[in-house]
Amino acid sequence: MSADPDSLVGRLRRRFSGGSQGDSAIKQQHSELKRARLVRRLSQSALLAGIVILFIGSLRAAGFWSTEWIEYWPQFVDALAEYFPPKLYFGLIPFVDLGQYYQFMKEAGLVGEAGITLAIALAGTIMGAPLALLFGILGNERVTPFPLNFVFRGVMSVIRSIPSLVWALIYVPLGGITPVTATLAIGTDTVGELGRLLTDELEEIDDGPIEGIRSTGANKPQVITFGMISQIVRPFIAWAMFILENNVRSAVSLGIIGAGGLGVTLTIEEQTFQFTNMMATILFIVLLVMSVEMISQRTRAYLREDDDVEQLSLYQRIVGFPKRMSDSVLK
Amino acid sequence: MTLTVENLTKRYGDTTALSEISFEVPSGSFAVVLGESGAGKSTLLRILNGLTEPTSGSVYLDGQEITNSRSDVGMVFQQHNLVDELSAYDNALTGTLNRTGFVRSLLNRQPLADRELALEALETVGLLDEAGQKVTSMSGGQQQRVGIARALVQEPALLLADEPVASLDPSSAETVMTYFRETATKRDLTTLASLHQVNIAREFGEQFIGLKNGEVMFVGSRAELTPSILEEIYGDIQTEELREGTEPTESTDPTGNAATGIGANT
Repeated sequence: MSADPDSLVGRLRRRFSGGSQGDSAIKQQHSELKRARLVRRLSQSALLAGIVILFIGSLRAAGFWSTEWIEYWPQFVDALAEYFPPKLYFGLIPFVDLGQYYQFMKEAGLVGEAGITLAIALAGTIMGAPLALLFGILGNERVTPFPLNFVFRGVMSVIRSIPSLVWALIYVPLGGITPVTATLAIGTDTVGELGRLLTDELEEIDDGPIEGIRSTGANKPQVITFGMISQIVRPFIAWAMFILENNVRSAVSLGIIGAGGLGVTLTIEEQTFQFTNMMATILFIVLLVMSVEMISQRTRAYLREDDDVEQLSLYQRIVGFPKRMSDSVLK
Repeated sequence: MTLTVENLTKRYGDTTALSEISFEVPSGSFAVVLGESGAGKSTLLRILNGLTEPTSGSVYLDGQEITNSRSDVGMVFQQHNLVDELSAYDNALTGTLNRTGFVRSLLNRQPLADRELALEALETVGLLDEAGQKVTSMSGGQQQRVGIARALVQEPALLLADEPVASLDPSSAETVMTYFRETATKRDLTTLASLHQVNIAREFGEQFIGLKNGEVMFVGSRAELTPSILEEIYGDIQTEELREGTEPTESTDPTGNAATGIGANT
C-alpha cells in the first residue's frame, strides 16, 4: 500500500475508470483486467468479512461469550484422564487401560445392548423399505401423472424434514420412548429417506426396457413392474443397506433419549459421571456401527459390481466416524 | 396377413415426419424399409406398433383396421430393449404379458403352453441352451435373438424390426438376419424391417419400400431395386460410393464394423 493517500486514491480511481482514451489497445485491456481483478478481490474480502461476522454472531448466540465453559475447562481435562485411563504396560509403556473398558463391556452386557440397538435399526429399516418403494415409485412422473406425483414426493419431503428423534417424540403416546416407538420412528424416517433416493434412481432408468415391455402389449402395472421396477431392484437393495447404516446410528441416538440399547447405557454412565464406562460404551458403538458399515458397503459393492460405490478405507472409516455419527443424530 | 398402410401422416409440431404414405405388404412376405436417417423409418414402425399415434391415416391387417393393437404386432428394437435383470427365458416370457394377468405375471405363473412357447421361440433363434443365462452376459447378437424370441412369443400377426442389426458387427448381423428371416418364413409371418445396410437389405428382403423425407419414393421387388433407385433414396454422397464400389464412410460403431455397406452389393 502506498504511504501517500492521494496517490492511493488516484490509483484506485484509475483502476476503476479503466484507463484513459488515448491508451493503446494492450494498455486498455491491461487496465481492464486490473479493474476486474480489483473488483474480484473487493468482493472476496466482503464475503470473508461477512463470514467472520456470521461466525462471531453464531458463537455469541451459542453462549461462547459467557465464561462458564472456560471455568469448567480444567474439569474437562480431568475427565479426559477418566475417558482414557492411563496404565503402564510392562512397567514402562504408557497406554490406555483397555482392561477397564473390557471389564465394563462384560459387566454391563454391552453385546446384548448392541443387539437391541441393531434390532431397532433392522426392524425399522425392513418396516419402512416396502413403503419407501411404493412412495418412490408413485412419486415418479412416468407412473403418476404430474402434479399428482408431487403429493407422494411432498409426503416424503415432510417425513424427511422431521428428524427421527422428533418422530420418536411424536410416537410417545404409544407408551413412551421405548424400543417400539424407536422402531416406528426409524421406519417412518426410512420411508422419507429411502423413498426419495428411489425416486431419484427412477429418474435415471433406461427407457429401452420400458419400451420393450410396452411393445409386447403389456398393461401399465406390468410395464411398471417389468420395465421400471426390474431396473431398480439392485439400487433398491444397495440404498436400503446404506439407510440401514444410518439407522443403526439413529438407533444409538434414540437410545440416548431412552429407547433402549447402547444409547441408554451411554446416558446412565454419563449421568453418573462414569467417564471410563462411558468411553467403553462409545467404543462399543464405534465397533457396532463400523461393522454394519463394512457389511453394508461390501454388499453394495457386490450389488453394483464395484461401480459408483464409495469405498471407504479403514483410515477414512475411523477419521470420518464422528461426522457420520453426528449426521445421523440430527436426522 | 396383408399389411395395408393408407395415407399415413405424422407431424411433430411444424415438422412432418411422414407425409401421406401408402403401401401394401403381401401376406407372409419379408419387406424392408430403406431410407436415410430421418427419412421416417422409425416413426413408421412405431406407428405400426402403436408406440406412436399417427396424425392421420390408417393401417389395415387383412382389410381390418388396427388401432393400438400392440399384442398383435411383435417388435424388435435396435438396442434390443430387453430387461437386463432377467434371463433369456424370462425375457422371452415377457412376450406373454398381454395375455397374462398382472398377479400371474408377477408371480411368474404363466400357463405351461406359454412356457413351452417361450422355449420353442428360443430354440427357433438357436438359444435353447442359453435359456437360463442372464441377458447382460450375452453378446449383442444373442441379445437381439432374445429380442426376436420375445416378439415371436407374442404370436404376432405382424413382425416389425427397427434397425435390428445396426449395432452389431457384420458376422453377428448376418446370423441375426438369417434367424430372423428363417423364423418369419417358417411361421409365414408378414414382416417389415427397417435396415440401413443395403447389402443386408438386398440379401434378405423380398419387397422394398424406399422412404425419403417422410414420403414413399419406391415400392418394388429386389430386381427393381436398381442403383439409380438407391441413388434417389440415399442422395449423392452415398451414390458416389455406390458407383465406385468403395467402402462407405458412415459407421454406427466406433470400430467401423457395422458400416452402412451400401457399396457392397452394387
